[in-house]
Order: sequence, then structure tokens, then C-alpha cells
Amino acid sequence: MASVAERLQVSPFMTFFVIVSMQIGVGVLGFQRVIAKTAGHDAWISVLLAGASSHLILIVLYWLLQQADGDFLLLHQRLFGRWVGGALSSLLALYFAAMAFVVLRTYIEVIQVWMFPDLKTWEFSLAFLFLCLYITVGGFRVVVGICFFCLIIPSYLLFTFWFVLDYTDFYQLLPILDHPPSTIVKAAKQMTLTMLGYETILLFYPFIKRGNQSAKWAHAALLTTTLFYALLTVLTLAYFSEKQLQRQIWPTLTMWKIVELPFIERFEYIGIANWLLIILPNVCLGLWCSSRICKQLFPVRQKTALLVIAAICFFSTLLIHDRKEVDFVNTILNRVGFYFLYIWIPCLAGITYIVKKVRGNV
Amino acid sequence: MTAPPPSVWATLQTLGSSMDFQTKVYRNDTSGLYLWVSYIKPMVDIETVARSIFPYLFHRPFSSLEDIRQALPIDDAYISSDPNDVKAKLLEGYLFVRLHETDETGLLIKAQKTLERTLTIPEVEFSVVGPKESFIESLETNLYLLRKRIPIDRLTVKMTRVGTLSKTKVAVVYIDGIANPDNVQTVLQRIEQVEFDEMIDSSYIVQIISDNRHSPFPQLLDTEHPDRVAAVLAEGKVAIIVDGSPHVLIGPTTLVEFFSSFEDYFLNWTIASFFRLIRLFSVTFSILITPIYVATLNYHYELIPKDLLGTLITSRREIPFPPILEVLFLELTIELLREAGARLPTKVGQTIGIVGGIVIGTASVEAGLTSNVLLILVALAALASFTTPVYKIGNTIRLMRFPFILFAEMWGLLGVAFCFCIVMTHLLYLTSLGRPFLAPLYPPRWRDLKDAFIRLPFTSQSKRPETLRTEQPIRFNRKKAKEKRDIDE
Repeated sequence: MASVAERLQVSPFMTFFVIVSMQIGVGVLGFQRVIAKTAGHDAWISVLLAGASSHLILIVLYWLLQQADGDFLLLHQRLFGRWVGGALSSLLALYFAAMAFVVLRTYIEVIQVWMFPDLKTWEFSLAFLFLCLYITVGGFRVVVGICFFCLIIPSYLLFTFWFVLDYTDFYQLLPILDHPPSTIVKAAKQMTLTMLGYETILLFYPFIKRGNQSAKWAHAALLTTTLFYALLTVLTLAYFSEKQLQRQIWPTLTMWKIVELPFIERFEYIGIANWLLIILPNVCLGLWCSSRICKQLFPVRQKTALLVIAAICFFSTLLIHDRKEVDFVNTILNRVGFYFLYIWIPCLAGITYIVKKVRGNV
Repeated sequence: MTAPPPSVWATLQTLGSSMDFQTKVYRNDTSGLYLWVSYIKPMVDIETVARSIFPYLFHRPFSSLEDIRQALPIDDAYISSDPNDVKAKLLEGYLFVRLHETDETGLLIKAQKTLERTLTIPEVEFSVVGPKESFIESLETNLYLLRKRIPIDRLTVKMTRVGTLSKTKVAVVYIDGIANPDNVQTVLQRIEQVEFDEMIDSSYIVQIISDNRHSPFPQLLDTEHPDRVAAVLAEGKVAIIVDGSPHVLIGPTTLVEFFSSFEDYFLNWTIASFFRLIRLFSVTFSILITPIYVATLNYHYELIPKDLLGTLITSRREIPFPPILEVLFLELTIELLREAGARLPTKVGQTIGIVGGIVIGTASVEAGLTSNVLLILVALAALASFTTPVYKIGNTIRLMRFPFILFAEMWGLLGVAFCFCIVMTHLLYLTSLGRPFLAPLYPPRWRDLKDAFIRLPFTSQSKRPETLRTEQPIRFNRKKAKEKRDIDE
């Protein structure tokens, strides 16, 4: 097992915060349109389906981690040898870096569309990545601290959906199961980008005290996000008519527009500013995971790896110019995430199982 | 070349270059022997010397220094020939008595003068109810104040001297068996390693031994309340007392502790909790209100409802400056007033406060330099920042506002959120004596929340804070403290 000093570890309970804060990201602002396009007013079932499947995948992830004594990269190496295994692990590093970059770029787009049309991408991207470097250099404990606060503090936003309730019509959800199962499953597949994030457990598992106890917290985290997404979907479907929803890129933000307090109008400004806190753990943990893999694979210091990855992320954000391209990278990441979690992980589990049967150990 | 071994004679010669060092020759009336008595005049209590030392020196028969020592009613008297010791003791206010002028051996007699102010009421941390004693500049008196409150043998005092010139006595106080030995060790070790010449005050020590010396956040709590120190010692913390400083340091500490006044414990828990929440709210308000003003007026005026926007626009119609300049102008004025008020004598300070606050404020609004809405906000923010019970964290809050204002000017609300994240990260990095500074929030210690944002009643405070990792986590038996009664009993 990759030995991690105890003073660097966090309690199993923190797994909950890491996973929830990692799962909730930019996806929340606009996932409803995509799934509603496919599954219509049955989209909420897709959300539940995606949630249920992620629970299954999580069980497999934990099983794999146990086979490899907590070190996922070691599993790659033992099964496929040094070179192939290493190559697979580097792909994983690339994936996490891409995740950080896509989340950041999508958020910048949201800001540019809703708040500051003149905001320079490089300006904000640079500042944000510097903040992320500052956090990530502090090590996993600081990253988890950010995950914790960035989940607790913006949680007040949940209350804002109370205002939306007045304008909802839940009869729009009827009839239930109006769509063929295949479309519902297809929508569930589209839901994966929003559900992504829990695969980081593969990397931060060694940093949890008594790692095997974290499983229940990880599942609790998945359950929480699934319920949150399902409720949000139900609310969105009841708030917008189906056609109206298709014209909203970010339904969540549009829903905030209805919130009105005696001293605040146009609540979405506050929502977007607050969303910075939600994005932060996503990018930080992405960078951390990616640099951690580099540290284990190559003879580099994690700090160096981190700097290089952040620089790559920075330049990548500059390459993306408009809505179409943002959508494109999101779709790609969605697909990669889906293949990784739902194709590669079960395959890997199968291979591990066979190897274990043949060799006696992995 | 080796230096010649220092002799007592040479030492006395060095001291003799100062005018206040005196050596006098007296003759004993009974035995006829001569005595050379040396001392540093300002350090010696003449009264003690005249009343209880000289009669024994001049009017009693003796043949050696040992005879004198035994006859003297003063217990701190001994024969020494160590030049360094003689020098140190003379500087502290001892008499040095020799039988011959060139003798290398002599008798050191304690005749120290002690001048200290009497105990007064706390001036920085004022509290309406509760004990009114406060620490003073004398280490012995301060220790007395603590011992009086914790009369147990396990109250341990470790003493060291710090400062190559000042040789200041520094005492580390803790309750053995409660305080975590690691914490004690950390404090002792850090004080040992202090390299400094003139240690004036405990605030020097804070700046030298803090975990992060560059952070604007104080990482050790300083207080002038002996009752507060006694209470936290009982919780398992460590106190550092510096001779000559009326402020005692407490560690390890956490951020929330800086916002809890010790008066909270003297009030009923419901009221105390309410006050604590008010304080936390006012601190947040104080930091964020002017940045939010800048952000909304610069970028997000759509945020403000129509009716309120009308009021704001009316008040800003005549103002020739952008919001940022307006805010900086007023904030700096307030800082100026505060600084002037702190430097001036009390009576003049009050006048300045009134003149500054009312005259400048009203005049600047009438002259059309600032809007009156902003004037209200800035004044409220200043007022809110005064609610911090610990002076030093108040200063931090004064400073924190400015980066927030600058970020708000740059990116509006997004900038405020961004700056907030930077501060949060900084706080996550901070530790106090190696313990996390943000505890009990992060790492979460749910049980410690009983005394963080709110203060629960004493019956539910039966356990010591988890973050301190005390040796004895139970404070008192909770079951005995809790009364259980059925209806109509």
C-alpha cells in the first residue's frame, strides 16, 4: 500500500464532503436541458437511474481498491506490466487534468454570458489557477478543507429554490414513464458528466484513515447528490414547460431569476459568484489527482507536476472560444468519463477477477 | 591568545564606570573590621538596607562573612566568588560585601527594590460583569493571580530567560495531567529557540514563535484577564507570561475563540449565544459591506430592487467619483480617525472622534464628495468591527477590508467570492502551536461546536475541547451536574 503519513490523512467521514463537492460542479447549472431533450418529463427517472448505476460502479471501485491494497495505479502495473500499466495511468492523469480544465472553462463561459461579457478568459483563468495552486500546494488536507467549506457555505443556495416552488406545476410530470425505457437509459448516460467526480476516490483512498470505513460515506455522498439532482430535475420540469426548457442553456440560473428579496433582485448574480466556491474543489481536486499520478509514475516532484499541469490547463482554456467549443469539450469529457467508469472499470474488474483466480493473488 | 579569566575585581571595575554604582567602606564598631559594600543604587531598596542589613553589619561582632550571613534576617544571602554571578546579582539589586577591597570572595545580600503598579481593572478587554482584576507588568504578581485561582499542585510553571540584553523572565504555565505534553513541549522549545536581544513585551514573543509569522491573523490569544487564563488552563491550554507585560498569551487557539468574549461565560447561555452570533454577523458585515457596495454599484446595479435603487441613485447623483474612490476615501478617513483617536490622550481623543465623525462625515456628504448611504454603511462597518472582543483580531479585520474592496472593483461580486476563497485557504493553512486554526469547523469536531458559534449551558460543557487532545478529556461528571426531575416532584 502506498504509505501516507498519518498526519496527512483525513478521517473517513470527510470522504462524503470530497465526493459531493467534486460531483456538484458546473453540470448542475445546465444538465436539465440535455436530459429533458432525450427523456422529456421522465428525465428525473434517468437521474435516479444514473445514481443507482453509480452506486454499483462505486462498489466495484472499492472492490478494486481492496484488491490493490488501496493503490489503483499499482493495480494497472500488476495487471499490464510497467509500460502498458503506466500508459493507462497517464491517460488517467490526463483525464483528471482535462476535468479541471473543462470545469474551469465552462464556468468562465457562464460568467462571460451572465455577468461580464468583457471578462478576458486568460485573466480569470490565470487568477483562478493561481488560487488553485495555492490550495493544492498545501496538500490533500487543505484540498479537503476547501471541499468541506465549499460545500457547507454555498449550501444556503438550496433555500432559494423555495421561491421557485410558487411557480411550479407538478402536473407537468405526468404521465410518468411516458417515454420508452431506451430513451430513459440514454438520458441516464447523458447524466454521467454531472455525476462524475466520485472516481477520484481511486487516488485519494490512501489518504483516508481506515480507508475501508469510508465506503459508507462514499455511498452516502452518492445518494445525497443523486437525490439533490433528482429534486432539482423535478423542480425544473415543473417550472419550465418542455419547449421552454429546450431554449435554456442554464435552467438553474434562469430559475434563480425568479428569486426576489426585499433588498435583492436578480439573484442569479449572487448564485454565479457563489458558484465560484462550488467550482473551486472540482479544479483543485482534479489538479491534485493528476499531479499525484505524475508523482507516482514519473520521477518528478508533485509541485513540478502541478505547475506543468496548471500551465497546460491555462493554455487549454485559451484555445476554447465559443459556446460550441465549450459544448464540444464537455461532450468529449462526458463520453470519456462514461467509457472510463462504465466500460473500463467493469472490464478491469473482470480481468482482476480472472487473474486472481489464475494466479491466486493480484 | 586566551582571554584572562574574569575576576570579581575586574567585574567591579567595569561596573564602576557607571555613576550609580557605589562602593562604600564602613567600619564595624565592635570588632573594628572594615567592610567594602558595593551596590547599584537605583536597584537597591534603601529602606531595607538601613533597617535590616546595616545594623547587622556594623553593630554585631563577627569574624568572617559566614558569621554575617548567619546573623542576617534575610534568607537570600550567600557567599560567592563567581564573577558572572556577582555581576548578575548586583544588576538585580543585591549588595556585595567584602572584607578587603581586592577580595575575590564576597557576600551577596538581596536588597532588591520592587516597584510595580497596583492591580487595576482591565482597560483593553472591558467587561461589564465578572472579575475586574487584570494582569500587571510583574511576573510574580501575575503568577500569584493565577495560583490564587488554581490552588493545586499540578499547576506547573516552567521558567526561562529570553533576550541577550534584557534577560526577560518568561514563564510557561500549564496544568500537568490536563494539558497535552506535546503542546507544552512545542511552546517550551519555541521559546528556547528565540533569538532576540531586548524582549520588551509578550507581543514580541507572539510574533517570533507564531506558526506563520507573516499572517495578519494572530495565532496566539492575548488577554489581560487572569480569570480567562485560569479558565483556559483548566481547559488544557498553555499560557505564556512574560515579565514586564500585562498581556498573557494563550495557545493553542482557534479562530472562533477570537470572537468569543470571556463575558459570554458570565451571562446566561441563551443570551451569550445570541451575542456571539451578533458578533460573528457584525464581523462578516464589517468586512463585506463596502466591497459589496463597490461591486453592486460598479457592475450589478440590477441586483438592487427598483425602490432601493432610486434611493441609491438620488444619494449618488451629485458624486463626481466612482464608487471605489468614494469608498476608499471614507474608509481611510475612518482609519485615520481611529489611529488619531488611539494616539491622542483620552480626553482629546474623544473630541477628535466627535469632530471627525460628525463634522467630516456630514461635511463630505454636503459637499457632494460621498453619498450618505455609503457614509451610513462605512460608519456601521466601523462600529461592527469594534464588537470584536480581542483587540488584535479587530486590527486584522480593519486590514482585511481593503483587499476585498480591490477585488470587488476588479470583478464585482465574483471578486468578493474570489478574495473570500483566498482568505479561506490562508486560514486553512494556519495552525496554532501545530493545531489547526479553523477547528472545530475544519477538521470538524462536532462536539466542540458546543462552545464555538454558540455557547451551550455549563451542563453540556462537561468535556474539554477535542482539538486540544487533552490528557484528561472529562471536566466534570455530567450526570451529577444535570438535574433530573419529573413533573410535580
